[in-house]
Amino acid sequence: MSNLDINLNDYKIISTLGQCFEGKAIVSLAKHVPTNTMVAVKKFIMDMIKDNALVDFEIILMRQLLHPNILPYFTSFVNGPNVYVVSPLMAYGSCQDLLNQHFNEGLCEQAIVIILRDLLDALNYIHKKGYIHRAIRASHVLVSSTGKACLTGFRYACPIVCNGKWQKTIHSFPSSTKANLNWLSPELLEQNLLGYNEKSDIYSVGMVICELANGSEPFAGMSSTLMLTEKVRGCTPQLLDYTTVPRDINGDCSGGDGDISLKIINRRFSDNIHEMAAQCLNREPFYRPSAEQLLKHSLFKTIKNSLPLTDLLKPAIPLSDRVAFNKEDIENLDTFNYFANLQINTCEWDF
Amino acid sequence: MPLFGKSQKGPAEVVKALKEAVNGLEKGDKKAEKAQEDVSKNLVLIKNMLYGTSESEPQTDIIVAQLAQELYNSNLLLLLIQNLNRIDFEGKKDVAQVFNNILRRQIGTRSPTVEYICTKPEILCTLMSGYEHQEIALNCGTMLRECARYEALAKIMLYSEDFYNFFRYVEVSTFDIASDAFSTFKELLTRHKMLCAEFLELNYDKVFNHYQRLLNSENYVTRRQSLKLLGELLLDRHNFTVMTRYISNPDNLKLMMNMLKERSRNIQFEAFHVFKVFVANPNKPKPILDILLRNQEKLVEFLMKFHTDRCEDEQFNDEKAYLIRQIKELKPLPGH
Repeated sequence: MSNLDINLNDYKIISTLGQCFEGKAIVSLAKHVPTNTMVAVKKFIMDMIKDNALVDFEIILMRQLLHPNILPYFTSFVNGPNVYVVSPLMAYGSCQDLLNQHFNEGLCEQAIVIILRDLLDALNYIHKKGYIHRAIRASHVLVSSTGKACLTGFRYACPIVCNGKWQKTIHSFPSSTKANLNWLSPELLEQNLLGYNEKSDIYSVGMVICELANGSEPFAGMSSTLMLTEKVRGCTPQLLDYTTVPRDINGDCSGGDGDISLKIINRRFSDNIHEMAAQCLNREPFYRPSAEQLLKHSLFKTIKNSLPLTDLLKPAIPLSDRVAFNKEDIENLDTFNYFANLQINTCEWDF
Repeated sequence: MPLFGKSQKGPAEVVKALKEAVNGLEKGDKKAEKAQEDVSKNLVLIKNMLYGTSESEPQTDIIVAQLAQELYNSNLLLLLIQNLNRIDFEGKKDVAQVFNNILRRQIGTRSPTVEYICTKPEILCTLMSGYEHQEIALNCGTMLRECARYEALAKIMLYSEDFYNFFRYVEVSTFDIASDAFSTFKELLTRHKMLCAEFLELNYDKVFNHYQRLLNSENYVTRRQSLKLLGELLLDRHNFTVMTRYISNPDNLKLMMNMLKERSRNIQFEAFHVFKVFVANPNKPKPILDILLRNQEKLVEFLMKFHTDRCEDEQFNDEKAYLIRQIKELKPLPGH
């Protein structure tokens, strides 16, 4: 695929994959016609975006990252009042999509371990290059048709190098981060003088391990205030299985809301992965291992004997141009955008 | 010699090794490969001296001073920038980080690197022309913005003929480069208020001729960003002379009135902030007053309906009400 194709007419939109940026950006499945390649096209509707600095920041930052587990993009260009970013298609969608559509009670441990290794590889790279991601969550981890996990969501990232120095701590709070609060570390949320560093991302990795294992992130559905209090108190979320869901004497599950399925009660995650989640979720950033240290964990030794991720994700199937599309959605969106942008000015100035 | 691990190279050795390696990049295949490796390795060594690593602190001031001196004496900064396109992806970023750190070095109130670059303006020209090349544009951008923080360097850039290339760079078809170029362009035109005001006054015709093209650009993002920046420039009190000149030209008023009617709401809104300056001017020249008078009723009607959903933006509503009142009360100059 030519890396410079900036002509919108060369892309045929096939279906809508989702929205992001609070609905101000739309991701579509598209075909790059000249090369017959499937791609993902993200359209930022600039007229709905007050401050274009956030869009610029993400696009410029991604251009300066080069790693197999970080979602790259082929090109970015302006067409009409929209900015388009063309990326390789991540055919399994995000890990959150996978949980929502196929794995409501979580992925199997092998799948988690493979995704986790890719995520940590990406994170190790960006930490070394001097960035904190600040939005590590399953929806920002995409899976390609070959079963490779890629990190995205760099809109919230921040540089560690500031004023020509490598900063020991950061104090800034990411903007428009409401949707990510559940994954953020206690020290970042506290916003106190101690600040935070790249270990804050490691806490979020712990949350992602739980999210992938349990089907939803810890504290989901809880009020932000209660979530913050729990985190600050040092409450450590866990992977739900045989060892962690409490039972009464009769062996009945009495944990949580009482609606925990038998499958969860009877499954068993390895001690290794329980331990890794707990290390990541340590209340004290200092005691959390770095991404580099985590990658050396014996948990990842199991990968070489494991089935490929694509097998572990069955029955989920990768997106392709044959998978049913929802043309109607696109048309509705387009009509909506047309009317949203329409501002009728009939008057003519008299010069 | 330490028994474990490599002996540490001193600044002079690293700079020498890096210089040789950069020079080697131009050579034949086999040699260039080895040179590439050496460039990356030595750049990382220098970067670690300046920033430290997760295991080690940055080097002491004495070592950093030696390093800086070696960099100046060897002319390595210029050499690195000239060969930036030959250095690998991560190496390019390391060059920028080394450059930006050395640039910030201070001895008391003096900035020795800034003084050094003043004597080597080709460093700045080479960086600016970096926007011509996709693969190094963003790296040059980060270095340029760091340079623009220093008035002496910003002045060299503003007054160089190369500055006018920015009007082209901010409109290039790849969005990431255009938008990076725009932030450098904006930094140059706004960072040092007195310098910028003087520059704009002295070069008014040339700059605004070029600027007009941005405002009329086909590219939505260029149009929107340049219009927003125009508003900021005109409303900055340092640029009073420039503002007065701008709002005396009826063509500028016509352009803004047309932009008020653009389809994009953001552009309408930014145009409003420039348009208001024409109306608020207590000494409107006759051609301006004539246009406003000819459109008096239409403008009042238009503004009454303009962005009525922005009810929470108090300042905007006050300004709009003020403009409506001003336009309603407009009268022809006596004697006409």
